[in-house]
Amino acid sequence: MTARRQQPKPAEQADVLQGTLDMLVLQSLLLGPAHGYTIARIIQQRSDDQLQVGQGSLYPALHRLEDRRWIASFWGTSENNRRARYYRLTQTGRRQLVAETNRWQHLVRAVGRVLRPLEDGP
Amino acid sequence: MSLRRYFARARWDRERADEIRAHIEHHIDDLVARGVSPEEARRQAIRDFGNAAVIREQIYDMNSVPVLETVMRDARYACRILRKSPAFTLTAVLTLALAIGVNTAVFSVVDAVLLKPLPYPAADRLALLSRIERRQGAEGTGTSVDGLTWQLVRDQVASAESAVFSTWITGVNLVVPVGSGGGQARHVRQQRVGHGFFAVLRVRPMIGREFTADEDTVGGPPATILSAELWRSLFNADPAILGRSIMLRGLPFVVVGVMPDGFQSGERADLWTPLRPGTTGEGGGENYQILLRLRDNASRASISGELVLVGDALRAARPPEDDRHISFGVLPLNRGLTAALREPLLMLWGAVGVVLLVACVNLAGLLLARSSRRVREIATRMALGSGRGAVVRQLLVESGVLGLLGCGAGIAIALVALDMLTWLARDAYEIWQPVALDGRSLAAAVGLSLAASVLFGLAPALQAARLDVQAGLTQSGARSIAGTSSRSPRRLIVIAQVALGAVLLVGAGLLLRTFTHLRGLEPGFSPEGLVTAAVSLEDDRYRTALRVTELFDRALEQLRRTPGIESAAVALEVPYRRLLNMGFRFLDGPQAAAERGAITNATYVTPDFFGVLQIPIRRGRTLGSSDSHAAAPVIVVSDAFVRTYSSDEDPIGRRIRIAGSDREIVGVVGDIQVRPSWGSNGPLKAMPLVYMPAAQVNDAFLNLVHGWFAPTFVVRSSQTSRDTAAALRRALDAVDPLLPFADVRPMSDVRAATLAPQRFLAALLAGLAAVAVLLAAIGIHGLIATAVSERTREIGIRMALGATMARVMRTVAMPGVVLSAIGVAAGLAASYGTARLIRSFLWGISANDPLTFGLVAAVLLGVAAAASTMPALRLLRLDPAATLRHE
Repeated sequence: MTARRQQPKPAEQADVLQGTLDMLVLQSLLLGPAHGYTIARIIQQRSDDQLQVGQGSLYPALHRLEDRRWIASFWGTSENNRRARYYRLTQTGRRQLVAETNRWQHLVRAVGRVLRPLEDGP
Repeated sequence: MSLRRYFARARWDRERADEIRAHIEHHIDDLVARGVSPEEARRQAIRDFGNAAVIREQIYDMNSVPVLETVMRDARYACRILRKSPAFTLTAVLTLALAIGVNTAVFSVVDAVLLKPLPYPAADRLALLSRIERRQGAEGTGTSVDGLTWQLVRDQVASAESAVFSTWITGVNLVVPVGSGGGQARHVRQQRVGHGFFAVLRVRPMIGREFTADEDTVGGPPATILSAELWRSLFNADPAILGRSIMLRGLPFVVVGVMPDGFQSGERADLWTPLRPGTTGEGGGENYQILLRLRDNASRASISGELVLVGDALRAARPPEDDRHISFGVLPLNRGLTAALREPLLMLWGAVGVVLLVACVNLAGLLLARSSRRVREIATRMALGSGRGAVVRQLLVESGVLGLLGCGAGIAIALVALDMLTWLARDAYEIWQPVALDGRSLAAAVGLSLAASVLFGLAPALQAARLDVQAGLTQSGARSIAGTSSRSPRRLIVIAQVALGAVLLVGAGLLLRTFTHLRGLEPGFSPEGLVTAAVSLEDDRYRTALRVTELFDRALEQLRRTPGIESAAVALEVPYRRLLNMGFRFLDGPQAAAERGAITNATYVTPDFFGVLQIPIRRGRTLGSSDSHAAAPVIVVSDAFVRTYSSDEDPIGRRIRIAGSDREIVGVVGDIQVRPSWGSNGPLKAMPLVYMPAAQVNDAFLNLVHGWFAPTFVVRSSQTSRDTAAALRRALDAVDPLLPFADVRPMSDVRAATLAPQRFLAALLAGLAAVAVLLAAIGIHGLIATAVSERTREIGIRMALGATMARVMRTVAMPGVVLSAIGVAAGLAASYGTARLIRSFLWGISANDPLTFGLVAAVLLGVAAAASTMPALRLLRLDPAATLRHE
């Protein structure tokens, strides 16, 4: 399953939201290992509550990312003194985040150019 | 990764559940910290999270491999189903395991001996020279050639490297130094090979070198090469052995090399000595084998051209009256070295193949019977929406699971069977190739069992695919009277089982009849109380007739003085063994005019030989002590000799030239059974035989024949054979302590050794036939038992209407006997053909021996009657009223 998904397929590239969630999860782990609830909170807060991640849908994404070995998991004890599964970024994940971020900014610029106000032509 | 996760899915899912629970708890903590009441916080957290079950399922599916998923589910279901009917499962698995076990074991041997390349580099380029002799329409092929042929091949065949060797492996005396000065005599197996033999095989000695051309010529320095096993056991793997002398054949032989571990060239040998080929003596007869290695640039065509020239040159060198036409060919080396094993192994392979077939047919029968009992279950599944494809797949997976179980048990059986097989075969055949259950055999086992189970699982699966769901649901079960259509494949199966069983039984019967015939042959002497002991006189200390007769006289004198030993004699060979063949010609009488000589078996004996063995005298006299070295040479001949060469007149007084002397026939004695060495391939026969007094053979003859045969002491004793063996050892020690006995054994063991192949094959085939008949009986029993249970209600009605018990039982059991009779007829017809295939194993009976065929028919019908009656007996307990009330 990992090898098959190493390079996103065209169909998935179109699925911006899914790809975006992956990126957001990776980004949120840049600060250090975190468990699922924290990740959801980080994404929510960093987007100034603009992005409301469906909390449940976070877990298939985490599973997928771990399957691709972009993140790794371990059981730990949380700040509330509860057992929780922590995730941390791997080397591949770090590289992937850089690549994803570049691609995202590229996309945003391209879309931005398309959507800029029309000017009078010569 | 995913496959690993696939199998760890359950654990994975539990972890996810824990994780989700932790998430919700954290959320609750958060909300409570912000002042929300705990109940409200839990409600909100759960709502925010969404449907946890759906998410877990989503992740669970991400770990799935769809094909594996269904197969595993089917397999799990199959295991559950199989566990629910242990009797069926056990029968099916055991049936398959038995067949797979014997097939795997036999395949291991076939593979090691016939299929795998010989353990030499580029073994496919190796060949033996084969010699095709035609005379008056008769054709014979062999690989033995004479010394002249070797010289011609050596000089004229350029497209192959060649070397000469002998496959006649003999025991020789080796004196192993013990302590200071003393020595202990050992009997070791010697193979004689020419210069270049190992180089042509491309096997270098592990240490040292192979024989030089100088060592391989008459009068050259005596040299020997040891096997690694001998080197380790007797010389402590001492590399300094090279260049040292060991006392072999009464002479110091310099050890020049040690072969690598496990090296063998045809039969087990402990050491090798130079052959020293010539064109007279041994080289005058066909006693050599020629090993060829095709050169890289040569083809089989180029070598056959050169071999035609060899044939022409040989013809030119022969006397003109020689009317034999001799031509040469090449035989791949593995064919040449395994000639004796090829036919028996192929027959055995065929026999276990039939057993496999019987097992498969049995399996198909079991599965069919089962699927007809499961019609209701299958119809229900289809009615509930299961596709036909899914049902067929399920049934096939079920057979596959059965196959794997059978395979596992079969491999366990194969391990035992292979041990038994090699143990049983050890007297009958020399198998020098390493035989083991290796990857190839295991692959064959797995392949066979899966193929067998899936192929024969196909029949019920296809039946299920055609199933009419409505009919299946309404008509099946004990409510109806038994339909006939669904049972017709099962009838065919019973016929096939019985027919296959008959084929095996006929084969086993013919081999058993052969064996009893051979055992029942009149030996021509009284074997009870006889013990034989061979000594090798291929020994430098016994190169003259004088020394040999002195040894015999003194040892026999010692034996006669030993209490318990009634009489003793020495002969070049004993009954039941292969004897020397010799050409001879009559010097007077009507046959003297014949241009060509004739051939006979010959042996030398000490005068008491006939008395010790109690061979009856027919005419004239036997040999006496007066027939000494100085007296006129005389011989005694056997009845068969007279029948063959001198039937129309009194042979007494006739003179023949044999073994370099003119000898007068002074007596005729009864025939003894020996192993024929010409004119017949049979194991035992009364051959024409010439007995010469041991005192009247010359040195050259002795040296020649002692290279091939070990003279044998024969004693008649009233003691146990162990005591006799000790007495023999003491007597020989008193004369020559450095002369070891090759083997001391009672005469019954000599016969057993000669008949070992026949006994081996007969026993094995009988065992296999018994298995096949047992399987057939299970099949018949199953058919009738099913019929009885299916028809219980119908029979109840019949009996209520006045049918007698005897009549009902006959109706139920009869089909088993009738079907078996058809099977027996078909099997016997097939056996008429297959028995011809094993004709070369049969002696004293014809391939369509009526007694065997009749007995086989009787046995099978008896088994069928018993197997059919047993389930029918259940009807005796039937209460018609209860049956009708039931359901």
